[in-house]
Amino acid sequence: MQLYVRSESVVSRVIAGETLIIPVRKGVGDLASIYSLNEVASAIWKIITGPRSTDDILHILQEEFAGEPEQIGRDLRAFLDEMSSAGLINEVGVSA
Amino acid sequence: MTMNAVSYGEFSLGLHQQFGDKRTPVDVSIEMTRRCPLECQHCYNNLPMGDLGARNRELSRQEYEAILDELAEMGVIWLLFTGGEIFARKDFLEIYTYAKQKGFLITLFTNGILINEKIADYLVEFPPFAIEITLYGRTRETYEALTQVPGSFNRCMRGIRLLQERGLPLKLKTVGTRVNCHEVIGMREFAEHELGVDFKYESLINPRIDCSQAPLEVRLSPEEVVALDLSWPKLASEYRLLLHQTIGKSVLPSSTVYVCGGGVKSFAIDPYGHMSICVISHQETYDIRSGSVRQGWDQFLFKVRQRERTRPTKCDTCRIQTVCSMCPANGELENGDQESPVSFLCEVAHLRALALGFEIPEHGDCEFCSDNETRKDLRASAARIASREVNPEEWIAPKPLLPVLNNAAASSCGGCGSFH
Repeated sequence: MQLYVRSESVVSRVIAGETLIIPVRKGVGDLASIYSLNEVASAIWKIITGPRSTDDILHILQEEFAGEPEQIGRDLRAFLDEMSSAGLINEVGVSA
Repeated sequence: MTMNAVSYGEFSLGLHQQFGDKRTPVDVSIEMTRRCPLECQHCYNNLPMGDLGARNRELSRQEYEAILDELAEMGVIWLLFTGGEIFARKDFLEIYTYAKQKGFLITLFTNGILINEKIADYLVEFPPFAIEITLYGRTRETYEALTQVPGSFNRCMRGIRLLQERGLPLKLKTVGTRVNCHEVIGMREFAEHELGVDFKYESLINPRIDCSQAPLEVRLSPEEVVALDLSWPKLASEYRLLLHQTIGKSVLPSSTVYVCGGGVKSFAIDPYGHMSICVISHQETYDIRSGSVRQGWDQFLFKVRQRERTRPTKCDTCRIQTVCSMCPANGELENGDQESPVSFLCEVAHLRALALGFEIPEHGDCEFCSDNETRKDLRASAARIASREVNPEEWIAPKPLLPVLNNAAASSCGGCGSFH
């Protein structure tokens, strides 16, 4: 299963209660932009401080947030795709 | 959507709206050093590169890192690194990188002359939010007449080219002085049309922070300042709009000395670890080395910001404050007193309004509003500007000026008792 981890080329900060992802190096995200995360996205961001599979993340989210597991799963995959496309997270290999 | 990409402009606007009037630091200016390889006649703080005393007093890299840690914890988001010349510090890029990794949005002010390929390449890898180079002339002769350093023009142009060809977020700016005022329009055209980058300029020169009045030797006259302002349609429009918005509204005098964002949303740190309201305010400073940034913000700057005015002034009910640069720091530098209106700035603001066709409502004991010779002279000056009898496009190079030594022995404002 694919593992995801935060890119080392971005940093995150919590400003006024909002989680922001700020590109630090070239080639990551859109350097003219800053990324803000909603509550669920912030929770995912906290989870992937180390390599995590989609199932790992989904399991933790289901404990924290109410909702249909299928819907949470769809949202999670969409978020990971979006973050991965922007280079804000990296795919680091496959878990056993 | 779980993730939202916003432009920095949208982000800044949203942040300021969210914080409103709440006192919280979001914007900090850090003077890395006052040493500089240039010897500009108008500069308010430069020291020679070889000033070992200044170098030894500067904050160390470790001290800067501790300060940056605190700033991040306090929620500061915008950082300005300025000087002196930032690249005069050999360890600047290390400190800069540390700040980048803390997630600050960083603007760099530099004269560009120390920028080489290695630095430019590094900035590509770790891009700043913005990098602003001050250009002192469009020609070598003028540039070096002001900087007093042979070869500095070509080095500045090389710095500009290195940043420009790498697509870094470059902006140019200048300071209009008696030495280079005839080339300000040329510099603007160079920036906007040849390079396609933003340009801005400032014509208001301060005395040095060590109280020397030497920079004022090259300051433009009020008539020249306003003529230059209004020769730029964009700037003239901005002033006209500000006057339209405020001249018909009565002004409530503030009870406190400071009314700007200093000490509310922003503050400054000098190369020796002193915190102040802004980079030009030095009468009241807090020594970070004897405490912490947090203490300086929560206690010292809070008190400075709360300080009540001691007397009324003609500025109290003035309705052209929005086009005037008067502030406590300027009063401090020019008059040695934060509350004393600076006559030069007052004259510039009045002339600006008159030249744009605005009548200024009376506001106390103002020599520029009383029915006297001063007012008549001001009106005549405004008419010369409006009719373009005074036209910056026709200005020519001045005769060479004698170098003005930037030393504290020159005439001073007498207000430097608390200067560190």
